[in-house]
Amino acid sequence: MLLRVNFMKESFYFLKAVADNVFIERIGIDFEDFEVGQVFEHRPGRTFTEASCLDYAFHSFDLTPFVTDQVYARRVYGDRVRVLETFILSAMAHTTKTFGKVVANLEMSECKILPVYVGDTLYFESEILSKRASKSRPEQGILSVYSRAKNQHSECVCAYKRTLLVYRKNCGPYAAAGY
Amino acid sequence: MSQYRFPAYVQIGKQRYRERFGLDFEDFTKGQLFRHRPGVTISQQDNKEECINTLNQAMLHFDDYYAAQTEFGKPLIDTTLIVQHLMGMIWKTYNRRKKILGWGKIAMVAPVFGGDTLYSESEVIELQAGDKHSETGLVRVAICGLNQDKKVVCEMGCDLLIYKRNHLPFSANGY
Repeated sequence: MLLRVNFMKESFYFLKAVADNVFIERIGIDFEDFEVGQVFEHRPGRTFTEASCLDYAFHSFDLTPFVTDQVYARRVYGDRVRVLETFILSAMAHTTKTFGKVVANLEMSECKILPVYVGDTLYFESEILSKRASKSRPEQGILSVYSRAKNQHSECVCAYKRTLLVYRKNCGPYAAAGY
Repeated sequence: MSQYRFPAYVQIGKQRYRERFGLDFEDFTKGQLFRHRPGVTISQQDNKEECINTLNQAMLHFDDYYAAQTEFGKPLIDTTLIVQHLMGMIWKTYNRRKKILGWGKIAMVAPVFGGDTLYSESEVIELQAGDKHSETGLVRVAICGLNQDKKVVCEMGCDLLIYKRNHLPFSANGY
């Protein structure tokens, strides 16, 4: 007997039919459809350019000479321009296509960062560590996620654990907001 | 002892001063608390641009109508923008850093909205000098983000490598 198993959960689909031949794009997975051990590979990758790195640093008001003075930076750190550490951490927000049904980001922990240089491309992936119901918020659940960034040589350059509050199926502002 | 510490200038001539920033590793002691100034007011436009810069797809930060239907009623400022600003605002005191090693914890304690003003405070929790030949020492700081009402919005622990006095690359490079 041939068993046909549908691995795809409801919220893993990209489009939802709202009328005949009318589709609306979905963002994010429902709390119920996450399972411990699932790994999501986030795409596309992201390449850091020198202009974006310096721009990001200036926007944070950080005027450390390794950002503002490339003559200094090259003498101290060598010819490759380093990406500011906070930019690497922030670039991990790229994972939100999967976690788009987030209510709020509660906590990040054990964030480790290795040097990333201009021209490097990062690929992100996230693993579900645990999930539990929220006692005070019945329409929401709490996810613990481990996210990491690998560069083009498959070296892990940034990793952290995250605690997210995520909406359950058919809860949240989606219907009212036209999502 | 004067209440003024740590010169902001190096005197390099009779009437010539050069701005200097930051404390050497040896200047840090456990328990020091720094209030970093200036603060910064965050707008919803900043929030949206942060999402563009970091490819953030969570509409909670940039779809105002969607956000109006949530419990917050308006767009929530993205965590990464808050972390970026809190880390950026400490640069003058921690300017002599070689690098940031990572964060032990980043807890988002209260929501931040467009129009709020953030102030950064940092407390030295732990110092590790390492071996005497190493050019840097580890400074572990607890960084606290406060809004205009002095309410804590973010708490984080950060590990930085700060240059020791005799290993500074700054003086040799005109700093």
